[in-house]
Formats: sequence, C-alpha cells, structure tokens
Amino acid sequence: MHHNGSPTRILVIGGGFSGLTAGIEAAETGAEVIIVEKNPYLGGRVAQLNKYFPKICPPLCGLEINFRRIKVNPQIKFYTMAQVESITGGPGEYNVRIKINPRYVNENCTACNACAEVCPKERESDFNFGLNKTKAIYLPFEQAFPLRYVLDRNSCPQDCPAPCVEACKYNAIDLNMQAETIEEKVDSIVVATGWKPYDASKIDNLGFGKVKNVITNMMLERLASKNGPTGGEILRPSDGKPVEKVAFVQCAGSRDENHLPFCSYICCLASLKHTLYIKEQNPDAEVFIYYIDIRTPGRYEKFFNQVKEQAGVNLVKGKVAAIEQDSESDDVIITVEDMLNMKKIKQKVDMVVLATGMQPEGSEFKVPGLKYAVDGFVVDAEGVYSAGCAKNPMDVAGCGKDSTGAALKAIQIGVRR
Amino acid sequence: MDKPVRPDLQFAKEIIKAGGESLKKCYQCSTCTVVCNLSPEDKPFPRKEMLYAQWGLKEKLFKNPDIWLCHHCGDCTAYCPRGAKPGEVLGAVRKLMIKNYSPPSFLANWVADPKYLLLLFLFPILLFLGELFLLGYFTGTEIPRGEHGELAYSKFLPAVPWIDVPFMAAAGFAVICFYLGVKKYWLDLTDGMELKRKDIYNCIKETIIDILAHKKFQLCTFNKSRTTAHLLVLYAFIGLAITTGIAAFYEWGLRWESPYPQTNIVKIIGNVSGIALLIGMFYIIANRSKNAVKQGIGSYFDWLLITIILGVGITGFMAELLRLADAGTLAYASYVAHLVFVFTLFTYAPHSKMAHMVYRATAMVFAKAAVREESIRKQEAA
Repeated sequence: MHHNGSPTRILVIGGGFSGLTAGIEAAETGAEVIIVEKNPYLGGRVAQLNKYFPKICPPLCGLEINFRRIKVNPQIKFYTMAQVESITGGPGEYNVRIKINPRYVNENCTACNACAEVCPKERESDFNFGLNKTKAIYLPFEQAFPLRYVLDRNSCPQDCPAPCVEACKYNAIDLNMQAETIEEKVDSIVVATGWKPYDASKIDNLGFGKVKNVITNMMLERLASKNGPTGGEILRPSDGKPVEKVAFVQCAGSRDENHLPFCSYICCLASLKHTLYIKEQNPDAEVFIYYIDIRTPGRYEKFFNQVKEQAGVNLVKGKVAAIEQDSESDDVIITVEDMLNMKKIKQKVDMVVLATGMQPEGSEFKVPGLKYAVDGFVVDAEGVYSAGCAKNPMDVAGCGKDSTGAALKAIQIGVRR
Repeated sequence: MDKPVRPDLQFAKEIIKAGGESLKKCYQCSTCTVVCNLSPEDKPFPRKEMLYAQWGLKEKLFKNPDIWLCHHCGDCTAYCPRGAKPGEVLGAVRKLMIKNYSPPSFLANWVADPKYLLLLFLFPILLFLGELFLLGYFTGTEIPRGEHGELAYSKFLPAVPWIDVPFMAAAGFAVICFYLGVKKYWLDLTDGMELKRKDIYNCIKETIIDILAHKKFQLCTFNKSRTTAHLLVLYAFIGLAITTGIAAFYEWGLRWESPYPQTNIVKIIGNVSGIALLIGMFYIIANRSKNAVKQGIGSYFDWLLITIILGVGITGFMAELLRLADAGTLAYASYVAHLVFVFTLFTYAPHSKMAHMVYRATAMVFAKAAVREESIRKQEAA
C-alpha cells in the first residue's frame, strides 16, 4: 500500500505456476495484481505435467487451489491470450500496454462441447505437442481455467466456423471479436514468462522429427497423463505399442554450447520420474538412462537412489550422440559409448525419450522494455523482478519460493512511494 | 587392482602449448567417440585420449595407435558440446609424438616452434647461395645457357654435383630419421602384446590400398570435401615422384639434360601433377578457413607444412614460366627458391607434419595386424 493509502499495483507477466504464485501472494497482502498470460488458459507448463515434484502427485490439485484463490480474490485481474506490447516509465510509475487477442468465445460458454461436435476442421494439439488433434474450436484441456473454449481462426478461417456458431445454444461464439489494446499503470513488474522445451529437431544427430518413436520428455508427460492423447497409457506414437524398452537421452541439447549452454536442472529428475511412470504401467519394462552426470541436487539424491535400485533400470555413463531407425521395424537404435566399459554400443529400444531442456521464453520473444541476458533469461532491475524459470531453470517448488520472493520485492516498490 | 595413475601435468601443458588449448574444456560426455565414424567399437577414441591428455599420460597416448587412426575429420569438434575440439587436441598430441619419435629431437623442436622458422629456411638458402658463389655467379662468371642459347637450369646448376648431392643427402637423412622413428614406434606399439595377424606384408598391402583409395577419409561426415582435396594432393605427390623418376632416367640413363620439350611425357605428368597440387592445396586452405569456427583453423605446425607445399608448387610453376619467358635473373631466382622449398620439404619431412604419412601408415598397419578395426571394416563395406 502506498503512503497515500492507494494499493500497490503489480503487473505479472506470465500465468504459469510462478506468475500465479507471485500474483496471488501479492494480492493476498492487499496489492492489486494484473496477470497477463499468452495462452488461452492459466497454469503454464505445470498444467501439462502428469505428476510433479517433490511429492510425485498430479499437479492439477495444486493448480486448482491457486485458481480458487484467484476466483475469490477481487484484487486479481487476469487476461489470457494477452501479451505485453510495451513498458514505459520507471519504478512506481510504469505504463504498460497489453494486447488481448480475440478468443472468439465469450463468457457465455458452458464448455458443453456442442460447437466442437459440429466443427469441420481440426488442428494439431499444441497442448499435447502435436501427439493428437483437436477441433478448431476446442477446450485447451479438461480442467482448463478459465473453463472456456477457444476458436483457432487460422485453422478455421472465414465462414468455416458457421456450423459451430449455429450449434451454440448460448450465443457464446462471437466471430466479430477483435484484438484490443489496453493500458495499465503499475508500480512494479514480476516477469514470470517461464520456459519452453528446447526444439529437439535442432539437435540434428538425435533424430527427432526424422526417426519414428523419438519423443521429448514433455511429450512423455502428455502420454502419461490421464487427460492426454492416450488416456494416460504410455504407447509409442508410430503404432500404439505399449513400450517395453525405453531409452532416455540425458542432456539432449542442455550443457551444450551448440544448443543450450546451461544445465536445465530438471531433466535428470524428470527422466527418473518418467522411469517410475513406465515401471508403474509395466513392471517388467526395461529402462536405459544414458547420462553424462546424473544431477539430482540436494535432497533429491534420495529419489535418485530409490529409482536406481529398481530392477530393470540401467544407468549408463555416456552421452547418446546418434539415433537411427531400425531397418526392419519401428524400433529405434541408439549409439553411445558405455564409458565405464570403454565400448561403443548400439541399443535397440521401442522408444527414445530425449531429456530436452528448458529454454527461456525470452530467448525468442522478448518483452519490449525488459532486459535479457545472452541466453534469454530475464535480468532484474529496480521495479522489475523475474520469477521462476524466466530467471533460471528450476523445479516447481523452487519456482514457488522464488515467486514469493519476487512478490515481496514488487510490493516494496509500492510501499516505498 | 590397476596401478595408480600418475598425472604428468607438465606434459598436459605441453599439449596445450602445442595447439590443444581447448583440452581442459572436455567434460567427458563421449559425444565425440559416437559421432566419429573412424572410431572402433572396442576402446574407441577420442574420448579416452581427451582424458589421457588432460592427465598428461604420455605413454597411454603414444603407445596406442589411435592418435594416428584419427584422420582429423572434425566431426568430433563440430559436435563437441564444450568446444573442447578433440580433433585439434589429437593434432597437438600427434605433433608431440613426432617430436618424441623422430631423431634428432632438436630438429623436431625447431620445426615445431615459430621462433626457428627463419633458421629452417636459412640453412637451404645459404646452401644454394653458397653453390652459386662457388660457381662464381656472384663474382662475374656468366651463367651458361643451353645449346640453342635458351635459358637452361641444367646449365645454371648442373645436376652433378650441385643438385643431386644435396638432395640425395637430404633424402637419405630423412629416410634414416624415419627408419629410426618408425622402428621405435613399432616396438612401443607391440610392447607386451602378441599381434593377432602374422601376415604383416598383407597388412602393409591393405594399408597402402586404404591410403590410395582414401577409405578412411570417406567416412568423415562434417568435412567431406577434405577427402577430395587431400586425395588430389596425394596423387599430385605421386605424380611428381614419377616425374622425378623419369627425369632421373633421362639424366642418368639417356644422358639427356633438361629442359625438355613441353610436349614430352615428363613435362606433361609434371605439369598436371603441379596443377593438381595447387588446386588440392587451395581446397585444403579453403576448407580450413570455411570450417575454422566449428573445426579449428589448425596450428602453426599444420600451416608450416601447407606453406612449404604451396611454396614448392608456386615456385615450381614460376621457375617454369619465367624460364619459358626467358626472364633471366627472375627465372634463376625462382628456381633457387623452388630448390629451397623442395629441400625444406625433404629435410624436415621426419619432423614436420609431413611425417604423418609415415607414422599414420605405421599405425594403420599395426591396427590391421592387431585386428583393431573390425567394426570400421563393416562400416566401410556398408
């Protein structure tokens, strides 16, 4: 709260786990918070996970608690499908322009699915990393917040959506919606723009996009999720075969100056977690984890030891650097040096999971007015505080703590005025 | 239990100084070993060599053939996640290996160090200028010409003794150095082991065929164009050796002195080989420049050899063209420069990068005898 009694106003860029945490924590101290999210839903990358650390539980319960905190708190305003266009001014007096893209579906939507049933066009599901398709009018995922459909006009242009408009009993589809730009004045800014999975097709020796059944770790999260493309069954994409032998390729693009020069922190833990997904569905499955170093920082060491002890879990020191299709099947053959035995070996598996790393969103899309480091991570300044993976690769628990800290810094700016 | 490893940090520093600056960046992921198509399945390289180099394990590096089985394709360097440039590091190790095996070691030191560059060239320059002095060309003696009054290098510096004696001495010296070096290397390679194959002559034959076909080079992926370039230079050298042979036959057998007509077989083979040499060297330089960022530009050691070979080619053509143009002093100067470069190439062959042909061939013969490369042979067949 300012000295004059008006509340501190904070802009939070990004509505994933970090942005939600920072926004809610600040709002619950009385600040006015505006959350700007570019997706049509809140929850970010965490919403795409099957289970998350440290308890290895589904993330939706955690997210739902946050969504409820937003719903009951009039101090929080959020925009989805929105992006910050410009930031001017300084600490205590930022002017922010926010562009809100049209969703073509208004608040009348009850998520009854009548529109999607008649929708003539399909699009690749970006939420599921292209593993399946949705209709051009779709709900991002079952438990999405806000629970409202969105129309992809690129997949369904001009008159194409006419049948959906007709099918909607609630007049929820509005093809005349236009992009709009709004302005807000805020005291401080929390940047929680998060990360995206590194584009695995750039790692040309690992076959992603060329060799069948080479997927990324985030794709495996979707395959393992109940609300994913396979209803939670881990089936390999080419023929739907349940997987019996899986290879994990660690540091796929991370710790690599040709790709991401930093350690993405989470990938070793993720592959160990994915091993549990696979073993849970098929206790006889064989898992190979190829690594340079297994990095399970701090107390996660215990988790590493638990997974390592399981039968059928093979840890092989050596980085996979060649992946090819088996000539007679949809199987995949990886090549690696088993360093401890000094042998260059080939291993045939049903599916390969590339443990791709975290690329900060800022590597490609930079919010005008913010400062970025070479790799695209946000650089803090007075009044501008990064939170979570926009600052540094980290786990969800770390993001929570970091975001609470960023919220405090943001509040201080308002209080000092 | 294995004996404890004693790191030799001094030797690690020597590798760094010899062009392996990036050595310490290696974090042992073994991407290099997997992307290298020349690396066998059992105890593959160059990951282990990077470790040996970091620890300065000289014997481990020298006593295994792998540093020479590496053909410096640069695939490892292109894919290295740390910029540790294994290709360049192995190049530096090979340089030190040459120094270690080719006697006398002081000469190897001179060749490897830019400090002595002038000295290297000063010796043949003084040698040939001394010959000119003895012939009295600096004190007014007129340079004799051919029968028809044409400019003739065989009159300028008659083969006996002014050419043949120094060059035979240089070649003889190189052969002795190589013999001693290869003998020591072979003993080290075979130390304490029994070769699986006894038909060593077949191994040599197979190696020669491999080299003539550049089979190993063709397995490179990142720098494919290097195969053509290097092959061109190899055949250019073979062509120039044949040229020299024919010329010697004319000289000694037929008692027919140069210059020979441009249409004579010796001139045709010589000129074609010379052009191939220049084109090949041009490609080698272009490739190195193009791939400098991802593969490394190479060390002083590499560039010294490139300069000498290029010098041989350029001065050779200059001497020929200026002779045909009857350019007098300029022609004679080019000819002397050509002699200097050829002499340098011969004399320092055992200590310069030129030694790679002998030591790599030795390692390849050993690898065949030790059946080291079975997995590679399968790959070649495929």
